[in-house]
Amino acid sequence: MIKRATATIRQGSIGGEAFGFLRRASPVQLIPLHLRPHVGTALAFAFALTFPLLIDRNDADIDSAANALAFASLALGLNIVVGFAGLLDLGYAAFFAIGAYTYGVLASAQLMPAWSGFWEPFQWLHLVARVHQDSGDLVHFTVSFWLMLPLSAAVAALFGILFGAPTLRLKGDYLAIVTLGFGEIVPIVVRNWPSVTNGAMGLNGVAAPQLFGYSFGVTAMPYYYVGVGMVALLIFTSTRLKFSRIGRAWMAIREDEIAAAAMGVDRVKFKLLAFAIGAAFAGATGTYFVAKLQTATPEMFMFPVSVMILVMIVFGGIGSVWGVVLGAIILQVLQSWFLEDLSQWLHALGRLIHVEWLQHVELASSIELIFGVILVFMMLYRRQGLIPATRRVQALSLSEQTAQVELAAAPPVKRLRVLGDATYRGPDPLLEIKDLTVRFGGLVALRSVGLTVPAHSVVAVIGPNGSGKSTLFNTVTGLVAADSGSVHFAGHPIRGLAPHVVLGRGMARTFQNIRLFPNLTVLENVMVGMHARLHTGPVGALLRLPGTRREEREAREHCLEILSLFGNRLIPRADHVVSSLSYANRRRVEIARALASNPKLLLLDEPTAGMNPAETLELAQQIKSLHEHGLAIVLIEHKLDVVVSLADNVVVLDHGEKIAEGTPDVVRRDEEVIRAYLGRSAAVA
Amino acid sequence: MGWEAVYLQQVINGLSLGAMYALLALGFTLVYGILELINFAHFNVFMISSFIGMMALELFGLSGQTHVLTGLPLAGVMIFAFIATMLGAGVIGVVIERFALRPLRGIPGTVGMITTIGVSYILFNIVLLTEGAGSFNFPNPMPRVSWPIGGATLELRELLIWGVALVLMVALHLFVNKTRLGKAMRATAQDSEAARMMGVDVDRVIVMAFFLGSALAGAAALIFGLYYNYTSFIIGYTAGLRAFTAAVLGGIGSVTGAMVGGIIIGLIEALGGQLIAVRWTDVIIFSILVLVLVFAPTGLMGRANPTKS
Repeated sequence: MIKRATATIRQGSIGGEAFGFLRRASPVQLIPLHLRPHVGTALAFAFALTFPLLIDRNDADIDSAANALAFASLALGLNIVVGFAGLLDLGYAAFFAIGAYTYGVLASAQLMPAWSGFWEPFQWLHLVARVHQDSGDLVHFTVSFWLMLPLSAAVAALFGILFGAPTLRLKGDYLAIVTLGFGEIVPIVVRNWPSVTNGAMGLNGVAAPQLFGYSFGVTAMPYYYVGVGMVALLIFTSTRLKFSRIGRAWMAIREDEIAAAAMGVDRVKFKLLAFAIGAAFAGATGTYFVAKLQTATPEMFMFPVSVMILVMIVFGGIGSVWGVVLGAIILQVLQSWFLEDLSQWLHALGRLIHVEWLQHVELASSIELIFGVILVFMMLYRRQGLIPATRRVQALSLSEQTAQVELAAAPPVKRLRVLGDATYRGPDPLLEIKDLTVRFGGLVALRSVGLTVPAHSVVAVIGPNGSGKSTLFNTVTGLVAADSGSVHFAGHPIRGLAPHVVLGRGMARTFQNIRLFPNLTVLENVMVGMHARLHTGPVGALLRLPGTRREEREAREHCLEILSLFGNRLIPRADHVVSSLSYANRRRVEIARALASNPKLLLLDEPTAGMNPAETLELAQQIKSLHEHGLAIVLIEHKLDVVVSLADNVVVLDHGEKIAEGTPDVVRRDEEVIRAYLGRSAAVA
Repeated sequence: MGWEAVYLQQVINGLSLGAMYALLALGFTLVYGILELINFAHFNVFMISSFIGMMALELFGLSGQTHVLTGLPLAGVMIFAFIATMLGAGVIGVVIERFALRPLRGIPGTVGMITTIGVSYILFNIVLLTEGAGSFNFPNPMPRVSWPIGGATLELRELLIWGVALVLMVALHLFVNKTRLGKAMRATAQDSEAARMMGVDVDRVIVMAFFLGSALAGAAALIFGLYYNYTSFIIGYTAGLRAFTAAVLGGIGSVTGAMVGGIIIGLIEALGGQLIAVRWTDVIIFSILVLVLVFAPTGLMGRANPTKS
């Protein structure tokens, strides 16, 4: 069943059968679908390798191409921060500068301390040379370019973490301003620290790279090939990270930070990771750039450079790996080749039609104007860029859309085994809340609320709007801080733990106002739910060893099976972005995402809100079968028939206080409850 | 000069700079309060306005600091220059809102901010390409009258700067708190959806915020020119960032906060340059920005919370 479902998905993305004849028409279509990206990559790489021959080894042109490759690397790095993790960094050039100066200082005659025995081991490692002078011997740093590439990356990554750590709590636009500040501070420090950086004069005489005794010197060709290698490596890194547990976590943070945390993503850790990796790309590129120019000045790393890199990724497609490379190359090539030619043509035109000002237009000097225009126009008219990051998926065919809904009301027990053993067997109650009080300013949202959820039970929380039900969920799952009281999960205190830790302990939730990751597919959403159960780290994602591959494949299959708990409602839509789904299906995806984290306790906040009676019944039965499988469930619900049919125990909140508790039948007759729900007169009558 | 006099002089300078930053900060805060948008275009609206101010003064045949006016002609020229600059700046702000930002309203994330960066770049380069990269001698018709105070000197232009800033800030305060449109503005800042339901023309309020904010930037730009006696295509960036820091320090979204923050940043710039070194001024101011955002994100009197998502 699952195999068939995935097969349908594949077919769906190729195209409808009716257009099969069209598929054979284009030569591209002859290449099997799964090989197409590889063929594209191979072609791009082959072009890059033969490019210098194609343009007749013109040194100036190859030099421009090498610069374009440097900017492609920077764009790839910024894309990880802005495109994947959604953190707008306006001071990215700072890391470029750090990488550049790290190499520049350690491979030039800028620092020349006096020679002492301390330096001998370094001399032996060829990191320094001894310079003989009449006034006493000096140390000359001669660290190899090849060693400095990864080292500068590491130094820049360290600064990325240093800058990021205190500021990543800020929301998007403030983060942008702070990064802008760092982007300003770094060149100022460089300028005002002449003993190390030679100040505004800039570093000179930076050593060119050497390979097997051959110095790269000033010809562009060897740098070009190093650049091709670097960009290829960074494309590989970006792609591997994007389609991994790491990339999913980043995109979850980008789409909805709160939901990401509630689904087990450690926000701080993953934001720092994005910052560090982005900075590392820039650090290595800085080394490359300085080695190529053999000089570095603070002016090379100012705000306009940060903006230029931003324009490149906006132009190419934020979040799209090949898009940002293309954007960077097009804009660089435009800058160094076409603008010059275009200006010449305009001058000629001006002479021809006797227009004075046309003969003086210098388009090369208006490149920043062009950048500004590109930014505004892309934002207004094509926000996804040249190559969009998310491909469109073929819409469902009419027959698929109107397909008979498979009776999925009660998934067979066999299928529920996918959830693993969810039963909690410890001695303590699964969830025990005591005296929980939460205040928002003067408002008491919860006042000494107590609640016990025994293992294998369904507890419903009901109450009028504003009675504190969702606040209770938010507090228990760590999104809102409690003022006093205790929360124990499976016998362990969890009050004050971060949301992702709470999820890790085995408590997953849904949100009243559905918080999915809108631009991710159904399957990706559910796979984010598995984040805490998977182990792939950045290195694992990069190497993609058999173990990682297996984990990823199993996770995918596991999530598809969870989707199949909802019959054929979600499976045909597994590759669709969730923002295209119906309201009821989005609710189902959110429950599936929570289930993917393999919880022992499921918190559902109004799961049937907005569903029609038939859908409500279907979902209620699905929840019941989850419960029968062993999951404990806490349910916020307004529909009393749902509550009565599911709950073992009902807790009633009103104005933040628990006013009643008991079996559904008892609570339903409680006068206090009737008063809270319907008003005093109804209770008297 | 004794050291007390030096500091008194720096306080006088700081107050003048502070008045300018406060006016500029108000533009950030008005727009942010309503749209939650950091408007980078504001930097260069300020810059371009200084050129408008320069042209307005040059209309009277003024150039450099040698043409001195007194009495009624001086007052007339000054009033005209301020009104012309503020109107011109306000119109630029409204045009930016209408054509670059209104189509993007309601789109979440950083799209709006990226667009304002683009607009800012366009304004910057229009001036760079048409006026060139040089700096221009800014006409100043005020006589060099000064009064000695405790060893320091207080110049006439400083009194004028303080006076103009005070009048504009009081006027803005009255507008926001006492008029119908001001009330609509405050309502929109609290909850634009609810304000719309209550019949507030939110578009008009937003246009008003851009107009007022940009007009105040125009006043600040004229003050910049009169204070430093020059203008150039490059002045928007530093002044804009300092004013933004002032807005954050005061609590972004708060009108009073922007005024207080502006004065504090002005004093820090003047005294910090004296106490530490001018070349580190920017580092000091950025450090304040980062520290305030990280440790006291609501600023001195703000209500917006930069850590909420």
